Amino acid sequence: MSVLSELGSLRKSKSLDRGPSQRHDGKWALFFLAPWFVGLVLIVAGPLLASLYLSLTDYDLLSNANFIGLENYVEMFGDRRLRKSLVVTFTYVIVSVPLQLMAALGLALLLDRGLRGLAIYRSAFYLPSLLGSSVAIAILWRQIFGADGLVNQLLAVIGIDGPGWISHPDYALGTLMVLNVWTFGSPMVIFLAGLRQIPTMYYEAASLDGASKLQQFFTITLPLLSPIIFFNLVLQVINAFQTFTQSYIVSNGTGGPVDSTLFYTLYLYQEGFGNLNMGYASAMAWLLLVIIAGMTAANFLLSKYWVFYND
Amino acid sequence: MTSRTPWKRMAALLAASTLALTACGQADNLAEDEETTAPVQTAQETETDQPPATEGDGGGEPGEATIRFAWWGSDSRHQMNQQLIDAFEAEHPNITVVPDYTDWGGYWDKLATQTAAGDTPDVMMQEERYLREYADRGILANLNDFDVDTSKIDPSILGSGEFSDGLWGIATGVNVRVMMADPEVFAAAGVEMPDDKTWTWDDYNEIMSQISANTEDGVYGAQDFGIPESVELTVWARQHGQDLWDPSGEIGFDPETMAARWQVTLDLIEAGGAPEVSQGLEINAAGPEQSLVATGRGAISPFWSNQLEAITSAAGHELQLLRYPGESQFERQGLFLKPAMALSMSASSEYPEEAALFLDWMLNSPEAGEIILSDRGLPANLDVRAHIMDQLGEADQQAAQFVEDVSADILDSANTPPRGAGEVNSLLQRINEEVLFGQITPQEGAERFIEEASAITGD
Repeated sequence: MSVLSELGSLRKSKSLDRGPSQRHDGKWALFFLAPWFVGLVLIVAGPLLASLYLSLTDYDLLSNANFIGLENYVEMFGDRRLRKSLVVTFTYVIVSVPLQLMAALGLALLLDRGLRGLAIYRSAFYLPSLLGSSVAIAILWRQIFGADGLVNQLLAVIGIDGPGWISHPDYALGTLMVLNVWTFGSPMVIFLAGLRQIPTMYYEAASLDGASKLQQFFTITLPLLSPIIFFNLVLQVINAFQTFTQSYIVSNGTGGPVDSTLFYTLYLYQEGFGNLNMGYASAMAWLLLVIIAGMTAANFLLSKYWVFYND
Repeated sequence: MTSRTPWKRMAALLAASTLALTACGQADNLAEDEETTAPVQTAQETETDQPPATEGDGGGEPGEATIRFAWWGSDSRHQMNQQLIDAFEAEHPNITVVPDYTDWGGYWDKLATQTAAGDTPDVMMQEERYLREYADRGILANLNDFDVDTSKIDPSILGSGEFSDGLWGIATGVNVRVMMADPEVFAAAGVEMPDDKTWTWDDYNEIMSQISANTEDGVYGAQDFGIPESVELTVWARQHGQDLWDPSGEIGFDPETMAARWQVTLDLIEAGGAPEVSQGLEINAAGPEQSLVATGRGAISPFWSNQLEAITSAAGHELQLLRYPGESQFERQGLFLKPAMALSMSASSEYPEEAALFLDWMLNSPEAGEIILSDRGLPANLDVRAHIMDQLGEADQQAAQFVEDVSADILDSANTPPRGAGEVNSLLQRINEEVLFGQITPQEGAERFIEEASAITGD
């Protein structure tokens, strides 16, 4: 609905500077959007409503669902593993998303200096974003950070006896955070685009006035880039909350060692498919929705204080 | 120039659509339930013009039928089962068998989802820990109602599929838990192979630590990761005159017994006889081909007898099978014959007669036995077992011989796990890690396991 109105207003603003001859656009737009709408209803809205209903039942996949009211939601309060999974997920989001954005911005600044072969670098750095949540990379990560993996072999060269990066509860989550930071490519590309939009005349004027590079960064680049930082932040926070593949593969689906990588979605999956508590898992999905909505709303509210729109 | 609207709009849009996706549930399948409970016969009559293949032998030629057979396993099993299907179809041209396979982990997700969608495979592989889960919900057919011959099935394991007044799955074969030992590592350490009928858990600790000490760094005595699988506890508890489950499906051991088993491992790691915990966790998760014995990095790894072939070929030389330590140390012997896996049938199959025919053929025909060999454990059908014995590979024969030897000393079978046993196993895995990493004491771990396992199986 909000989507529709957004599209509508976009169209309106466009049609002002076109002519009346293009009035048929609307029909064609709807025609081309039809597959998307069908998908939205069948693949998203249908299951969404079903899961809302199922969250109020004791559905176990194998037999009929019985309505049990809010019991699943009440049960969550006493669920020790649910609490653990929230701690793991929040830690992951709060630590790895800022680090990832800093890495992305740092590299975008480096690449923005008009290097030769920029396109190649850009692609190379973007690659991890495409691969980052794939099964192959998770398996690779398991090899690299294994007790006898590449990292520990390198450490052994300089005489350090490295720990089991993925098999010790103190390090496993950190190792997955490194994986997330490594996928800085997609925010980086967006930062690059944003940096290109900052007019060079500001920098020229600033350097004439004797501002150092650092001062220019804090007084020109950061404020003008803040809407894009905000955009990336919202996006990456939502993504990070839904992390699943990495821990599923690295921990063989257990969330171990000792639940140290028990992401919320992994626990949801375990409850739904492993323990056949699909009703409870559906309720968990709705709690996640509320959490992400809350975090996103908080982001939008806080954005007033630091995001600068240069209208 | 950066303008306010597009970025903010895009952020809002993306936020909205991503939110919608987080709640992705499973397909709406509530409407299908009625279909699955509809009488099977009607569906059959409407689909074929010929008279349906019904009870009794006098019904004449059965019509065309398509049944689906689901299993888990590796590539070699997929090829083998395809061969099996081809042979069956050649014998019964009117029946088409559709293969439906995946790996172990994905299998139970897939089976649950298919069942939810009213699309349970006609014939499927089952496992002890999930059999009750499915049978008690009316998803599996009672095999006593069909023409499946169980007269030649090893009676000591047939019982594993019999409960709730029915026969819900038939074990395909038997396995025994063994310690696989690498004679070369023993030799390199200058340590003699123990007498496996009399060795105690203290001997085990001593011998394993000695091997670690006498060999180069990175070679260990035992791959011992506490109680990562319930079988380690079952054997131990039975040695102490208890069992993992009692006959009524409740916890059958006391916390002190469980704690003592963890103490064995903690002492062994302390003494250097087994890899330290986080390394042990990795080795344990890496599977049979990466086990200590398979890679020449250790003297002993615990496995099921039917895994010997794969591990021997990974190791590249002959291994020796040892009984568990402590078989004559405590109250009684702990080893037992475990039903390897079971074959079950869907209660909602469109072609139950054909499905039963296929199931019976896989279990009882020598022809199928020759293809399957020991892939599903040492065959449960005693005639088939004798028939294929000399066709087995070297390691498989060695394993079969071992099972034979041990069988004479085995007292009884372990009690059948209750509903929820699959979930209990992952609970065990977690608490095992907590105990080994020293986050809780063995006693605390045991008490928590008993409390939580009782809660899971209690409802």
